[in-house]
Order: sequence, then C-alpha cells, then structure tokens
Amino acid sequence: MVGTGLTHWGVRKATLKELAQEAGKALFDDVDNLPKAEVDSLFVGTALAERLAFQSYVAPMVAEQLGIHPTRMLARTELACVSGQLAMKMAYMAIATGLSDIAAVVGVEKMNLPDMAETQASLAAILDREWEGVAGMTAPPYFAMVAQRHMYEYGTTREQLGLVSVKNHRFSATNPYAHFPKEVSLDQVLNSPMVSTPLRLLDSSGITDGAAAVMLAGEDRAREFTDTPVYIEGAGQAATGNLTVNLPSLTEWPHMRRAVRDALSMAGVTIQDMDLAEVHDCFSISEIIEYEELGLAEKGKGGQFIEEGQSEIGGQLPMNTRGGLLGCGHPLGATGVAQVVEVVQQFTGQVPQERYVGGTWALTHNLSGNANNHSVLVLHRDS
Amino acid sequence: MVEAKAERRVPYLLDFYPLQGEEHTRIHPFFQHLQEGRLTTTRCTACGEVLWQPRVVCPHCNADEMEWVDLPQVGEIFAFTSVQAGAPKGMEEDLPFVVGIVTLKGTDMQILARIEGDEESLEIGQPVRVTVERLADGRVWFRFRTVEA
Repeated sequence: MVGTGLTHWGVRKATLKELAQEAGKALFDDVDNLPKAEVDSLFVGTALAERLAFQSYVAPMVAEQLGIHPTRMLARTELACVSGQLAMKMAYMAIATGLSDIAAVVGVEKMNLPDMAETQASLAAILDREWEGVAGMTAPPYFAMVAQRHMYEYGTTREQLGLVSVKNHRFSATNPYAHFPKEVSLDQVLNSPMVSTPLRLLDSSGITDGAAAVMLAGEDRAREFTDTPVYIEGAGQAATGNLTVNLPSLTEWPHMRRAVRDALSMAGVTIQDMDLAEVHDCFSISEIIEYEELGLAEKGKGGQFIEEGQSEIGGQLPMNTRGGLLGCGHPLGATGVAQVVEVVQQFTGQVPQERYVGGTWALTHNLSGNANNHSVLVLHRDS
Repeated sequence: MVEAKAERRVPYLLDFYPLQGEEHTRIHPFFQHLQEGRLTTTRCTACGEVLWQPRVVCPHCNADEMEWVDLPQVGEIFAFTSVQAGAPKGMEEDLPFVVGIVTLKGTDMQILARIEGDEESLEIGQPVRVTVERLADGRVWFRFRTVEA
C-alpha cells in the first residue's frame, strides 16, 4: 500500500457516485506524486449498489468518477460485508501475478434511503431471502440469537457485551471520519433502544454512507510513491453456505479460525506477533466471539477478555482503534478498506495520540452474512 | 393457522414470499403440501440425505432424483429473538415479532421461522408446532406456535 483515502462517514447528503469521487480525491491527494495515467487497474468493493443505488456495472462508473482509465484489470467485488476486503485481495492478487503494476481499490456504499424499510429489505436479501429473510431475518436477529446462545451456553453477560461498544466508541470519539464520533457509557449502551433482544441500538453498527480507498503498487515500485510502504504478507478465507440453520454452530465460528490460521501462517507469524487488529464488530457479540476465534481467549471466555481490558491499548492486542463498525458505522463495501486505512495510518503515525499504537504487524478481519464467511489480511511495515 | 395481517402490496423485487406455482419453481410440491398443512422436504433417493431447504440436486452425491418426505410437525426452540426495530419493507406492521430456530423432534434438522407469541413467554427448549401462514393472495408460508409439553 502506498496511499489511502477516506470520506466522512454517516448519514451523508451525497450519492454513491459523489462518495466515490470524495474517496478518489482523498486518495490522489495522499499519493500526489502518482499520475492517474499510471493506475492500470481498479477494484471496487460494493455490496448492494443494485438495490440501494439502482445501479449495476459499478466498476466502470467508479473509474469515471475517479478519472482513471484501467488498461489491465477492472472489477467489482460483491461479498456482502466482505466486499471491500475482497477488493483489496483481488488488487493484491493482480499485482502478485504481474497482471497489474499499480492498482486502486475503492470501497463504497450508500445505505441511507428515503425509506429505510427498503434498505432493511435489501439487507435481508444478504441472508437466504426465500427461506430465512421471509421470516424477517436480517443481521440483527441473527446476531441476537448468537448472543442469546453465547449467554446461555457460557454465561456471557449483558454488561460484557456493552463494554465492547464502550471501548469502540471511546476510539471513534478520536476519529473525525466516524459516523459516531463520541463516547458512550455502559449505562447508555444498556438503556439504548432495543433492536432485537438482547441486542440494543448501541450493540449494533450503524447504517452508514461512506467510502474508503487504498492505492497498491508492486514491491519494485512502491518506494517511488512513499517512504513507508505497508505490505500484505498474508491472506486467508474460509466459508460455508448461508442458510443459518445449516451452520455448524451459532457460537463457534470455525471458518474464522481457519482464515486466521492460514493468513498468519502465510505471513510466517503468530497472533502474538500482531501489534493491533481490526476485527468485524458488526455487533458487540461479534467482537467477543472474535477474541475466542483469534485464539486469544478460551472458548466462552470472550466476555472476560473485554472485562479485563485485553483488547484496549496496553492490553494483549488492541482492537478496532479507529472505532470499529460500532463507532464508525458500517457502509458494507467500505468497511474492509477503511480497516486497512487505519492500519496504514497507525503504522505511519497518522492517527491522533489518544489511539496511537504504531507497530509493524496487524491483522484485519471481516465476516459476512450470518458469519458463514470470514476473510483475513495480515499487514506489515518494515521496521 | 395464521392469517397474515394485511395484503402486502410491494413490487416483486421487494416481495419476500417465493412464487409458488408449477410455472415458477421445480419444488412447487412443497407449497402444495403446505397448503394441506404438511411441512415436507426432499430426500435424495440415491444417498438418502434429507435436505433442507428442498432441492432439485443433492449437494452431497450430485444425484437429481428426489422424493418428498414429511418432516416432524413438532420441535423445540433452539434460539429466538424478538425483533423490535428495523423491519424490512412490508413487515413494518408486524413489529414486534419473534424469529427463532427450531430443532425438529427426533432429528438434528433445524428450521428458521417466525414464532407466534410474546417473547416473554418463550424459552430455549420450549416445544412448538408448525402452523401454516396464509397470505391474502393465496400463497402460504410456515410459522411455529407454542404447545404444551
């Protein structure tokens, strides 16, 4: 990675195209010594453009918004909440195979519509619409049942769930790009409106408009554009089908374990080598299970891990320092790209002191659907 | 049986309920059986796997000869949640509603559907029975409702 760009996230008075333009401007302002004509490829991560912006064939449209004319590869990636990380991975593959020398990645999603019930209907279509969406299943009821089972099987408490949101909002309060840049107390989390029992509004990531962008270049050219390139050293992904009732478990995510293991092993490092991690806290319960599947907490002890402050700065592994999905919101296609932006900015000292970790190794994780798909990147900066 | 609250007027691409006739889907017997009050699915005649959802090709052995089998009408709640906000288009008036996963009796098969009733009165392990939801346009779907143990 040789450059990054972010838009402000939130309920934006802007269209999908305008968000893409803003991300492109931020990106090219950051790598201002890279002529647009040298960008030979573009990968666009967006999940629901057909339904939320009534627009297919999004990749050439974003190329037009950015003013680039790809001569090697142009693609749009769709894998729900993993769409953005998948775009990163495809850009990495293109460069690693020699199909591209310099590739731009844009993750973008416009989610706030005049009628939010339409947005919810489209989100329900991420699950199996015919057999499960039809019952009113969307992400909140799925993760609510995960939380119910985790509490039932392991005694995880309502307060432990809330602490994840308190931590991530403490970080998003330092992030002017976040949808929710302000701290919340545990009381506020526990008294926020109920969404799907036992999960409340502040246990849930926002429905957010936003975009993020990253520029990738091959190792041989990266230092032409920056003195501090950040490298993708490992990647992993594992998945199963998306019928909730055919998942191996609600409370164990074996596909995450597999994706984490493969990504770390490709990079030749262990989880203990990581200085920070960006994990997919779409709901408070998600981050608790992720502590367990990262191998940092015993199965069922994720709640204790947050209680002990192990995912705070100064703990075992600081997580979601940009504020996570809970604090920043979750524009589906943009999230995985913005997590990488945070890592690059951490490594290069571009974040405020309150959330600065620095370091040279980081892991980013996204899940999609009903946690049936997990994708992981391991990132590194030369020390 | 449950009568849907109101006719749902939504465009086809916002209509959650599948088209159920023979001209639309190869698993149309599922909906005919449901009209008769039976919850059924397909079993692969080659390898014997009982599949959910009903399929036209077996994902295990790749055979495409299926037979219809009745599923148990009763089961136990495995997990549930009361949805209180964020309903998809067409379901706003249903709020609050309960969605749950039910393990069908004597099987390890689980099915996800609405569960009739107040969340306060529900618990994991509670026995439930299938009930047919009738839409105003003649289509059907299924829900569960609680029964005495």
